[in-house]
Amino acid sequence: MITLGHYLGLSAALFVISLAGIFLNRKNIILLLMCVELMLLAVNFNFIAFSRFLGDSTGQIFVFFILTVAAAEAAIGLAILVVVFRSRRTIAVRDLTSLKG
Amino acid sequence: MLSLIFFYVLAAILLAAATGVIVARNPVYSVLYLVLAFVTSAVLWLLLEAEFLAIALVLVYVGAVMVLFLFVVMMLDVERAERQASFTRYAPVGAALAFVVAGELIAAFWLKSRSMPMTSFQAPRDAGYSNTRELGAVLYTQHVYAFELAAMILLLAIVTAIVLTMRRRPGLKAQDISAQVAVRAEDRVRLVSMPAETDE
Amino acid sequence: MIEQLTNLLDFLPPVLLTIVVSAAKIVPLVVVLILCVAFLTLAERKVIGAMQSRVGPNRVGPRGLGQPFADVIKLLLKEVILPARSNRILFLIAPLLSIIPALAAWAVVPLFPGFAIADIDAGLLYVLALTSLSVYGVILAGWATNSKYALLGAMRSAAQIVAYEIAMGFALVGVLMAGGSLNLGQIVAAQAGGPAQWFWLPLFPLFVVYFISGVAETNRAPFDVAEGESEIVAGFHVEYSGVAFAVFFLAEYANMILIAALTAVLFLGGWESPFAGPLYAFLDGGVLEFIRHDSLLWLSAKIAVFLFCFLWFRATFPRYRYDQIMRLGWKVFIPVTIVWIFVEGAMVVMQVGPWSA
Repeated sequence: MITLGHYLGLSAALFVISLAGIFLNRKNIILLLMCVELMLLAVNFNFIAFSRFLGDSTGQIFVFFILTVAAAEAAIGLAILVVVFRSRRTIAVRDLTSLKG
Repeated sequence: MLSLIFFYVLAAILLAAATGVIVARNPVYSVLYLVLAFVTSAVLWLLLEAEFLAIALVLVYVGAVMVLFLFVVMMLDVERAERQASFTRYAPVGAALAFVVAGELIAAFWLKSRSMPMTSFQAPRDAGYSNTRELGAVLYTQHVYAFELAAMILLLAIVTAIVLTMRRRPGLKAQDISAQVAVRAEDRVRLVSMPAETDE
Repeated sequence: MIEQLTNLLDFLPPVLLTIVVSAAKIVPLVVVLILCVAFLTLAERKVIGAMQSRVGPNRVGPRGLGQPFADVIKLLLKEVILPARSNRILFLIAPLLSIIPALAAWAVVPLFPGFAIADIDAGLLYVLALTSLSVYGVILAGWATNSKYALLGAMRSAAQIVAYEIAMGFALVGVLMAGGSLNLGQIVAAQAGGPAQWFWLPLFPLFVVYFISGVAETNRAPFDVAEGESEIVAGFHVEYSGVAFAVFFLAEYANMILIAALTAVLFLGGWESPFAGPLYAFLDGGVLEFIRHDSLLWLSAKIAVFLFCFLWFRATFPRYRYDQIMRLGWKVFIPVTIVWIFVEGAMVVMQVGPWSA
C-alpha cells in the first residue's frame, strides 16, 4: 500500500539530489537551470501527493501554475544565457565573475 | 501490491535519472537524463491519478522546455567537461549535506504523518470521475484571477525572450513577403507602343 | 470478441489476463499498421507516377505489389554505417524516438463504434503529447551524426515541427470545445447525425489549418525543406543507412497515417457513415446495405482520402522556402486558429452549431 510518506520521501530525495547538483556544479550554467527544474519537479510531487491523499484539488491547481511559471522562467533564463554567451563567449561558471555588462 | 512494485521501480529510475543529470559529462546526456526524469514523474503522477497534469507535464516540459534546453546546449556547443578535481574534492561534503537535509525532511513529515490516518490510503474515486473536468471546474471559477495572471506571465516571457535575444544584423538581406505578394503589374511591366522597325 | 477471449482466459490471474487481452488488441493493429505503411510507400510512387503520366514501380510482383517487400529486404540487409566520432548511443536511439510516438498514439484512436485500444478520458491530450515527443528523434539524429549539414537540417526541421505543433494544438482546442470532452470516442459520438453534423463545417478553418499543419509536422512536401533531396540531401538522416534509415522512413509514413486518422476522427466523424441518416433508408435490405453502418470501413475510407491528399500535395506543389514555412506557421496559422476559437466560443454561447443539442 503506497502511503503519502512514500511520495513525500521520493520528493525529498529528488529535491536533495538537485540541491547537491547546484552545490557541486562547477561546470556550466545550464546544469544550474536544469537543477532548478528538478527542484520544481520535486515540489510538484509534494503538491500532487497531498492533493490526492487529502482529496482537495487545490494542490493540482497550484501545480498547474508552477508548471506555467517554471516554463516561463526556463525560457527567460535560457534567453539570458544566450545573451551572456554572445558577449562573453563562455558559459562556464568560473569564467562569469564580473558584474560588468 | 503491484502498484507498490511499480512505485519502487519508477522511483528508482527517477532518482537514477536525477543523479545522471548531475553526474553526466556530456551536457546533451544531462538534458536527456532530465527528459527521462520528467517522463518517469509523469508516470508516477498517473499512479496518483492526476492524469491531466501528468500528460500536461509531458506536453509542456518534455515537449517544449526540454527541446529549448537541447537547442541551447547544441547551439552553444557546451564543451564536454572532464570530471574536475573540485567535484571529487567537495563530493563528500555535498553528499553529507544532502543526507542531512534529506534526513530532516523525512523526519519532519514521517513523524507527523504517523498520527494522521488519512495519509495511508488513497480514497477511491467514483466511476464517472474525470480529473480534467474537476480541475476545469475549479480553475475557471475560484482561481480565474490567478489563471489570467499566469497567461500574463507567459506573455511576458514570450516578449522578454524575444527582446533579449533579437538582434538586427546589418547588411542582412531578408525578403518581405507581404511586399512581394502586394506587388502590382503596373509597377513591374511597362508596355510601350513603338512602330515596327524595318530593315532599311 | 474481446469478451469471448476474456472468458476463455479466465483462469489467469487478473494482471496476466489484462496483459494478454491488451496484447491481443495491440498486435493486430500494429501488424496492420506496418503493412499499411509498407503499401503506402508503394501507393505514393504509383499515385505520383500516375499524376506525372508514368506507371510507377511495376516490376516486382504482380503490378508492382511486391515492391515494398523488396525495399524492406534491401534496407534490412544493408550495412548500418556509424559515422566516425559520432555518438553511437544517441545515433541508434534517435530512430526509435521517431517511430515509438507514431505507433503509440494509435492506442487512443477509436477504430469502430465502442472500441479503442485505450479509451482514456484524456485521449486528445495524450495524442498531443506524443506528437511533441517525435521532435526528439529529429534533434538527436542531427546531433548524433556529427555532421554540419545534418545538424542544420535537424535544427530547421525541429523548429518547423514545434511551430506547427502550436497551430495543431489550437485547432485541437477548437475541437475540444466542440466535442465537450478529451475522449476521442466521445468526440466521434458528438458528431453523430450525418455530414452536416461533423466538425469540418463549423470548424472549417481549424480543419484546414490542422491538416496543413499535419503535413508540415511530418516534413512532407511542400514543407520538406529539411529533407528535400535537392537541397540538403536528406537533412537530419543523411548519414543513416540500413535498418536505422528504414525505421526513420517507416516513422515518417506512420506519422502520415496517424495525422490522416486523427483528421478523420476529429473533423470528419471517424467511423460514422455519411449514409446513415433516414434519407438513404431506401438502401436497407439491398446489396449496399453495409455502407449505411458505422464501421472501420468508413474510417479507412476517410484515412485513404487524406493520404491521397498527402500524395497529391507532394506531386503538385513546389517546395516552400524555410522562411516562408516559418512565416506561415507563426504569422498565419496561429492567428487564424486564435480568431476562430473566439468565433467558436461565440457560437457555443449562442448555441449555433452541432453542439447545441
